[in-house]
Amino acid sequence: MNRSIVRHLILKDLHLMRWMSRSALVGGLVAVGLMSVSPLPIAGGGVLLVCALVVLNIFLVMHGVVQERKDQVAVFVLSLPVSTTQYVAAKVVANLIAFSVPWLVLTAATLVMIDVSQMPNGFLPFWTAVLGYLFFYYCVLLGVGLMTTSSGWHATAIIAGNISVNFLIMALFASPSVQAYGAGDTAVWTTGMAALVVAEIVGGIAVLAAVVMTHSRRREFV
Amino acid sequence: MNEPAIDIVGVEKAYRFFHLSNISLRLEPGQIMGFVGPNGAGKSTTIRILMGMIRPDRGDVRVLGHQVPRDQAIAKREVGYVSDDMRLYGSQTLAWHMDWVAPIYPGWDAAYATALLKRFHLHPAQTIKALSHGERVKATLLLVLARRPRLLLLDEPTTGLDPVARHEILAELMDVVRDERRAILFSSHNTQDVEQISDVITFLDRGRILESSDTATFIDRWRRVHLDVPAQVTLPDAAGVTETQRNGRVAVVTTSAYTPDLDSVYTQAGATVQDVQRMTLEEIFVATVMHNRREVAS
Repeated sequence: MNRSIVRHLILKDLHLMRWMSRSALVGGLVAVGLMSVSPLPIAGGGVLLVCALVVLNIFLVMHGVVQERKDQVAVFVLSLPVSTTQYVAAKVVANLIAFSVPWLVLTAATLVMIDVSQMPNGFLPFWTAVLGYLFFYYCVLLGVGLMTTSSGWHATAIIAGNISVNFLIMALFASPSVQAYGAGDTAVWTTGMAALVVAEIVGGIAVLAAVVMTHSRRREFV
Repeated sequence: MNEPAIDIVGVEKAYRFFHLSNISLRLEPGQIMGFVGPNGAGKSTTIRILMGMIRPDRGDVRVLGHQVPRDQAIAKREVGYVSDDMRLYGSQTLAWHMDWVAPIYPGWDAAYATALLKRFHLHPAQTIKALSHGERVKATLLLVLARRPRLLLLDEPTTGLDPVARHEILAELMDVVRDERRAILFSSHNTQDVEQISDVITFLDRGRILESSDTATFIDRWRRVHLDVPAQVTLPDAAGVTETQRNGRVAVVTTSAYTPDLDSVYTQAGATVQDVQRMTLEEIFVATVMHNRREVAS
């Protein structure tokens, strides 16, 4: 019964968040289309793509997690036959799906676009790392949203996350790997670049696993 | 099936500025317990401990025979919980909520839900954010009652409601306990509501239970005795007296253990009993809380 209730919670969240995922997907695909008309690695389309995923990130966490707790809707959900750990696990899974589906589609579309457009294929690792970082940023913000109802912490996480995306892009541009192979016709995956992408994905999942484990030991949730 | 609906023993929960101390409660099937206390007494904390939302620091909590918080998910299959600060999804309709909640509960009574829609004058197609406070409480109650829970935990459900809405809700709760397997814990600081529907009363103040007993006996024990006391007469100490107010010859004694013998005690001491008044639950509640606070302070 409990597994089916967790599934019930996940489907409910996906239903409530569907318009955000769809909007980001549409906006992101338009951005990828714009990227294809420019040979530059990051121009209007690229900025729009990053913005679409950052906005999706913030909306999903603030609307689907933080607001639900602040409005005391979480109390209603927790009155159902579900434990707080199951509630948190369902939130994590639903939010991961709501973000990951558009993120995966947009990542695949970006990589295909780079391959078929006039943009050099050498930028494939660069864009993979940027999009991977947006996944990591999402996981961190989701973790903060689940751990605290403090608006101060949420604002700090959002500001720090948005600034860090800019720093990451600048750092990647300045990296020897992008400097050496970015303009090339083939994608070259240096060890450092591959490790960064793996760290982004694994790090994001580790953050969420830690959040679920921490919640299972917390003495109160609402 | 004959286990107590609620059985908590020695529950403690400490916060920085509040301490829930040694709470023990037992609620049998078929009973309605009025859980009365001023704001900040610990009513909501106790109820959230029963729901597994807050883990106590110490003590044993059993709800319908299940250990909580460990088995909270199992216990909550047969528990309905409504609190005044609980909210539904504002952008969704009541019909959406009913469709979403119904499949979770095998015992969901669709016919009863429809009857409650009519009784509470609710429109299923209306979004929650378009409902008034009273309608929102009724909608939440509908979602809970239609599950046919064995235990209802109601945390200030009538707060902020108009008298008609309160009457409708209390009447529905009285209906629920016609089935003797069901029990209700009803928290409120509105003593009028509690007096109306409860057969057991528990007073809570500053995290401690002050009194817990059946409503009729409890109210019957309390009296306010008005006396004419000559200046040279000193009123004797009597068991159960919680307060004595004296102004010249007039004295008013509040007692929690009234028997006609008390009149004789005062008469023999030289006072004249002028009137013996029954007290309302609100007066008893205030007297109990103030007496307890004076004792703690001294």
